[in-house]
Amino acid sequence: MTVLAQTTFDAPVDVLNYALTLEHLEFAFYRDGLDEFAAEDFEAAGFDPAVFEYLGLIRDHERDHVETLQAVIGDLGGEAVEEAEYDFGYADVAGFLGVAQALENTGVSAYQGAAQFLIEEDALLTAALTIHGVEARHAAYLNGLNGATPFPDAVNPTLTPDEVLAIAGPFIVS
Amino acid sequence: MRNSNDRLANAFLANARRNATRRGLLGGGAKLAGGGLLVLSLGSLPRAARAQEATPTAGATAGDAPFADDVEVLNYALTLELLENAFYRDGLPAVGDLGTDGFGFSVSEQLAAIGAHEAAHVQTLTDVVASLGGTPVAEGAYDFEDAFASAEAFLATAAALENTGVSAYDGAGQYLSDPGLLTAAGSIVAVEARHASYLNLITDEVPFPASFETPLTPDEVLEIAGPFIAS
Repeated sequence: MTVLAQTTFDAPVDVLNYALTLEHLEFAFYRDGLDEFAAEDFEAAGFDPAVFEYLGLIRDHERDHVETLQAVIGDLGGEAVEEAEYDFGYADVAGFLGVAQALENTGVSAYQGAAQFLIEEDALLTAALTIHGVEARHAAYLNGLNGATPFPDAVNPTLTPDEVLAIAGPFIVS
Repeated sequence: MRNSNDRLANAFLANARRNATRRGLLGGGAKLAGGGLLVLSLGSLPRAARAQEATPTAGATAGDAPFADDVEVLNYALTLELLENAFYRDGLPAVGDLGTDGFGFSVSEQLAAIGAHEAAHVQTLTDVVASLGGTPVAEGAYDFEDAFASAEAFLATAAALENTGVSAYDGAGQYLSDPGLLTAAGSIVAVEARHASYLNLITDEVPFPASFETPLTPDEVLEIAGPFIAS
């Protein structure tokens, strides 16, 4: 995951591959987790039936983000990073939701930290911002499901790639 | 600048009011329309990218850009934050207890936290505009009468304001030239998106209605709201 192990970016494609690395991680997480757990598992854990549907919607968003970033990177003549192998370490619905919360909140902060490297690319910047907002919506919802306030502070924390690596790295096997 | 900012604030309010009404009329059927003023549908990022690309180059003169400099962008954001701040500050005492949400939180307490965030955003933007040598816009006179008429109207208006706020920041971000200010604006818009998600949820809308947010320019907001502005 060399794309995560950097503090700045040389080109817009590198910023987009950084975002794609995280979107791959998120999409794989929901795709596999929602395959492993059924709606009944969430209800048995005390959650409203809508929760399973909303998690499916989040999964679909992450897939859209992956496919869009792949297309844009291709358009720019870059090589899109591929999905890796992950180990999210959850054993039950509660564990799954805890990881989801961590991933979404980290995603928001990652986009926020990287956006400044697209400042010369108006269209790409705006596109990244439109993903950033959706990740923040996901994060608020997952905070709530985990019993945390959806909006813990007036200012959302910003993370550098190094800081993101420290959080997301342990989920990446290879 | 003062007049145009008041006009913008009132346009946002008019949008919120119209959105609240539309929600009331359409009920659950409005869900797929999105959580706010999502009249523009961005199905894919490349299309969004093309649309955005057209904006700065359209007229090829500096006069066509919606903002002359970073101070104007920040004053635009401040205009919206002032409106939001006044909305919660004056509305929460007016509408009374709002019950409990699906997470088990007191809605009134959550909205008080949102109100405090808006107050913090107002303070931060005011300070930054001043530190850049600009004149921060001041709070305007808003007509919240309809929005404060019931808890339902209040929450629907809040949802519309928050969702619109996200679109406004997303549309304006590209006009910031200072990387530090862009990151700061990002740290605010993320919080607005969190608010929007929550307010959608408690008003029976999908908290995250699309894979991408819908950026709006000030002109688009005014254009959409035009028919609803009395003067």
